[in-house]
Amino acid sequence: MTVPLLLPELAAFALQTGFVDGLGQFLRPTNLVSVLVEGLAKSAIYVMIASGLTLIFGLMGVLNFAHGSLTMIGAYLAGVVMVVLVGSATGQWTRLAYFFGALVVVFAALSLLGGIMEVGLIRELYDRPPIYQILLTFGLTLVLEEVVRIVVQFYGLQPISEWQGALGTKPAFLATDQSLGPLSIRGLAVFEILLGVATVAAIWAFLTRTRYGLYIRAGSEDAEMAEALGIDVRRVFTVVFALGAGIAGVAGALLMWDPVWGASVPLAAETLLPAFVVVIIGGLGTFRGTVAGALVVGMADATTTWWFQNVVTWTWLPEMAVFLILVGMLVVKPQGLYGVEEVGGH
Amino acid sequence: MTLLELDGVETYYGESHVLEGVTLSVDEGEVVALVGRNGVGKTTTLRSILQLTPPREGSIEYRGEQLVDLETHEVADRGVGWIPEDRRIFSQLTVGENVRVAIPDDADTGEALAIAFDTFPILEERRDQEAGTLSGGQQQMLALARGLVGENDLLLVDEPSEGLAPQIVADVAEALNDAARETTLLVVEQNLPLALDLADRFYVLDKGRVVDDGDTAEVTADDERLRRYLSA
Repeated sequence: MTVPLLLPELAAFALQTGFVDGLGQFLRPTNLVSVLVEGLAKSAIYVMIASGLTLIFGLMGVLNFAHGSLTMIGAYLAGVVMVVLVGSATGQWTRLAYFFGALVVVFAALSLLGGIMEVGLIRELYDRPPIYQILLTFGLTLVLEEVVRIVVQFYGLQPISEWQGALGTKPAFLATDQSLGPLSIRGLAVFEILLGVATVAAIWAFLTRTRYGLYIRAGSEDAEMAEALGIDVRRVFTVVFALGAGIAGVAGALLMWDPVWGASVPLAAETLLPAFVVVIIGGLGTFRGTVAGALVVGMADATTTWWFQNVVTWTWLPEMAVFLILVGMLVVKPQGLYGVEEVGGH
Repeated sequence: MTLLELDGVETYYGESHVLEGVTLSVDEGEVVALVGRNGVGKTTTLRSILQLTPPREGSIEYRGEQLVDLETHEVADRGVGWIPEDRRIFSQLTVGENVRVAIPDDADTGEALAIAFDTFPILEERRDQEAGTLSGGQQQMLALARGLVGENDLLLVDEPSEGLAPQIVADVAEALNDAARETTLLVVEQNLPLALDLADRFYVLDKGRVVDDGDTAEVTADDERLRRYLSA
């Protein structure tokens, strides 16, 4: 009986807040395409920051709280490479080429760091309850952040604000909007989409087209059986942790160029939270779920950001929408879009 | 020639003492059945050989080499395969991927797949299907196929007929008989007629110890000698 009573009030509220006018604006093709592009760009970022987390959890059952710190280190490392190299090169395409060089450096360095972390620290805790891994990786976050903070301050940079020098190494065509007929699209958004698609394709191909990928998928489902078939699951753990850390670093390199994020110490926490939201919505431990989760979160974020920027003034709208989706998923389908009830482990 | 030799194997789950000095041997080329009631340690014996549940005491030698303290994948690399009780197929991988994951790196993948699919043609028809969608009998065939392509010299087979329809049990028995021509088998089986039909020798396990052994030609499934250890 309360619904009919509420309807007129809702209609009045919609008119007062400009919802009806806003909906008309939102449905214009140029706005829809713009939101779609921004949504895909956000999805690309989310899939990159969450992929490593989900690969590691899927195979090893380890919730890596240090994942955001690896992204942050990747952002600073890519920034260092770009600032050093771009000093002598102003050509726009040269800058882009240097960025891909930086990606290789970041991926290699972070993979090495991840491999060392797994062999030196995390491996010792596999036979203990998960709380040990959570405490260890959380502790690692604190250590890594403080180390980076000290180094950054030593070089006279502000650790809590974006590193402007690194942001400035972006080619001009990525720093400005590009016109495409009646549309105006951020150059960086298109670049983020392309890099996100390339990253997803590379991970997908690795998991489904290589023998090692087959080992990872088998080990994720039943590590003991995989071991009994002759697969050295501990070595696969190391490779996956290294790979996950490398992907986190690559995500950081991309964020280093994005003014919404940028290289800063708080980037670690800023990326960890959405990464967890994406993997929970998609289903813990499934790469397919992570891609789907990133698309859901990215599109919801872009849509509500448009409403916040153009219709209502609720600054909390995008975050609230994302967390409402998270809560809804936990209530309706706690295992996520593609999740299974149990994941691999040791 | 002795392929596998267990001597005084003592295995625990936590504080629970499951194997209390198991001693047995398997010669190259023979089929040995390990029989006994539920919970007497048959599966644990296989898990101990594979080092999935490493023994605290005793010796397990394979081709004269000590397996105790090796990693499970190192035991598998030496040619010891496992077809577990509950099949343990990778349900999210396709049928073809389940077979491929068991093929050693240096083996001819095409040839190994042909062996698996010639033995179980239904698996070839379903090679691109997710293994979790197979029926129980087909999953058992897949588990057997995985064991067959592993180029193993010794296959540890745990309850291969459990929960299967009689026709499927016959197919499984035929596949194991075929496998026995090329591979040594140590089979845990509750279905005594099947176990005696497959095996050359048997061991009876009771309360974590070997209490009887002999040639299967000496006994029948309803002999008092076996029934007193097998009836509930």
